Amino acid sequence: MKFVARRLLIAVGQVLLVTLLAYVLFYVISDVTGASPAQRVAGHAATPAQVARVAHLLGTDKPIYTQYLDFLDHIVHGNFGYSFLQRQPVTQIILPAAGVSLSLILVAVVIWLTLAIPIGLISALRPRSFTDRSLMTGAQIAIATPVFWLAPILSYLLAFEPNQGRFLGISLGGSVNVFPIEGWISLTSNPWQWLHHLMLPGLALALGFTGFYARFVRALVLEQLDEDYVRTARAKGAGRRRVLRSHVGRVVAPSIITLLGLDLGAAVGSVLFVELVFGLPGLGFVAVNSIQNLDYPVTVGVVTFTGLLTVGAMTLSDFAVALLDPRVRRPTG
Amino acid sequence: MSFSGSQTAGVADSVMIDPTLSVSFRARFVRRVLADKATIVAAVFLVILLLLATIGAPIVAALTGHGSNQQFFNGLTVNGVPLPPFSHEIANNGQPNPHGAFFILGTDRLGRDMLVRLLYGARATLAVGLGATAVALVIGLVLGMVAGYFGGVLDAVISRGIETAMAFPSMLFAIGLAAVLGAGLVNSIIVIALFSWYYPARIVRMAVRSLRGEQFVEAARSIGLGHITIMRRHLLPQLTAPLIVYATGVVALNILFEAGLSYLGLGVRPPTPDWGQMIADGVTSDLYRQQLWVALTPGLALVFTTVAFNQLGDGLRDAFAVRGSIR
Repeated sequence: MKFVARRLLIAVGQVLLVTLLAYVLFYVISDVTGASPAQRVAGHAATPAQVARVAHLLGTDKPIYTQYLDFLDHIVHGNFGYSFLQRQPVTQIILPAAGVSLSLILVAVVIWLTLAIPIGLISALRPRSFTDRSLMTGAQIAIATPVFWLAPILSYLLAFEPNQGRFLGISLGGSVNVFPIEGWISLTSNPWQWLHHLMLPGLALALGFTGFYARFVRALVLEQLDEDYVRTARAKGAGRRRVLRSHVGRVVAPSIITLLGLDLGAAVGSVLFVELVFGLPGLGFVAVNSIQNLDYPVTVGVVTFTGLLTVGAMTLSDFAVALLDPRVRRPTG
Repeated sequence: MSFSGSQTAGVADSVMIDPTLSVSFRARFVRRVLADKATIVAAVFLVILLLLATIGAPIVAALTGHGSNQQFFNGLTVNGVPLPPFSHEIANNGQPNPHGAFFILGTDRLGRDMLVRLLYGARATLAVGLGATAVALVIGLVLGMVAGYFGGVLDAVISRGIETAMAFPSMLFAIGLAAVLGAGLVNSIIVIALFSWYYPARIVRMAVRSLRGEQFVEAARSIGLGHITIMRRHLLPQLTAPLIVYATGVVALNILFEAGLSYLGLGVRPPTPDWGQMIADGVTSDLYRQQLWVALTPGLALVFTTVAFNQLGDGLRDAFAVRGSIR
């Protein structure tokens, strides 16, 4: 229980930090650099008196700390404010978008784990072999490939060209719909179409992470294979598979879960590009639109919301690790 | 190995090189680097890239006679589509003119020479990638040293800050910040540095923490040296190897970061060429569906450069015998 309390306290601190930064960034800095929220709402033609009145209505004429506390108070009550442009509550914009982004991340995580774990294992079991070198070179390239470049290339090769009846410039003799070019179908309306529309975006998002995780799994497993307990287990007659699954796997799993918790935040950055390329109405899509339109409440809402998700994912992954690894639960000095 | 006797096992768990290595260290470092062909290839590639960006770009521009922002009216087909690689400009009759301008990598959406833009684009990529890393390194070094050296409350605060920053939706924040500050070279460097300081901070903190208990620190204290002097004169030299290794890896991350920002129009201001922006040029207009290369070549340049920096970082890590990875 002490562990849970400690960890939750840290999470609360992180949430405060995220919200504070989001608030300062978009309301305070934008105020200083000229494009103040009140000016934005009142419009370019507004007189200073009108702008001042709007600032009063928005509450941006109050001291910064009061503004921030009001902002926190609203968030606690589930109120992320109102969009400047769309005249509706930010939550009504964010929640459907979050469903899209989370679906995409879910599909991507499944893809990258199912690819990376076997690749990492194969490499670790034959270190410095030709297979290992080829796989790790592939991982190196996957890591270096920017998602905003990979996504359009994949969409061109696997969706657009087959749709036009070609593949790599070779005629297929007719249109083949391997993957849809873009668009979003919700899980509740058609689960199969949902998955079909997310496969290619998921793959684009997953590839870079696959490289990272394959290298990570390889390094972890390689380190463990040298340990005495592996030799002991083998000497007692346990098969290779059994040692990997029941012994090495148990030691390696918490590290992978921790990394997954950390990577959700990083994934949101890549999600944004994938959503733009594949026309998925997710959080990244909403964020980029609101940033370009200086629709501060939506931007701050998205950033805060993803910040909350990220902190939540980190906290959950730490709890999962604590369940798997009793050493973590013990209070540290 | 003949010089293995000079190694001690005590610091094997820390991120740094063994401080007791002296004479044999340089020899071993050189030997290890020379044995690592992939790293040599990466290093040579990066040197060539640097030369191409600095002096190669104007030379190629002079040889071809094409400016980086020069729009060729005949550099597009009659339908306004960019020319593929290895093509001549289009004459008024719609056919290629064998005596006219020649475009080795074709032209872009506005009829500009892709090769010249690609070479000039390397400047922005390298300037921001290296510049932001340098700034991040300074921030990370100071915070990491303070946290690792003093411990206690300072360490707790900085460590929580590092953890939070690591899991931050940093791309979203960076885009927001870039949008608020405005596009531009210096602003990109500031934004990217603000979101990459925690990699070096983490490494430095761990390293300093493990060094803090060493006798030479105690000795320095006992002869009356101040904390700042100890950090600068006695701890900093120990951190050189891990910092070089991690900085190389951070450059790779930051180059992708910069490309991402300029892909969204928040990096270097157009018409200054930039790889991320060149990719965006081909993608957002859906032009790549007709003419894939407009997005293909700048992307490949980006991938090669990032792979090279990553490979160099890996190679240096092995050669310096620094443990651990960037994440």
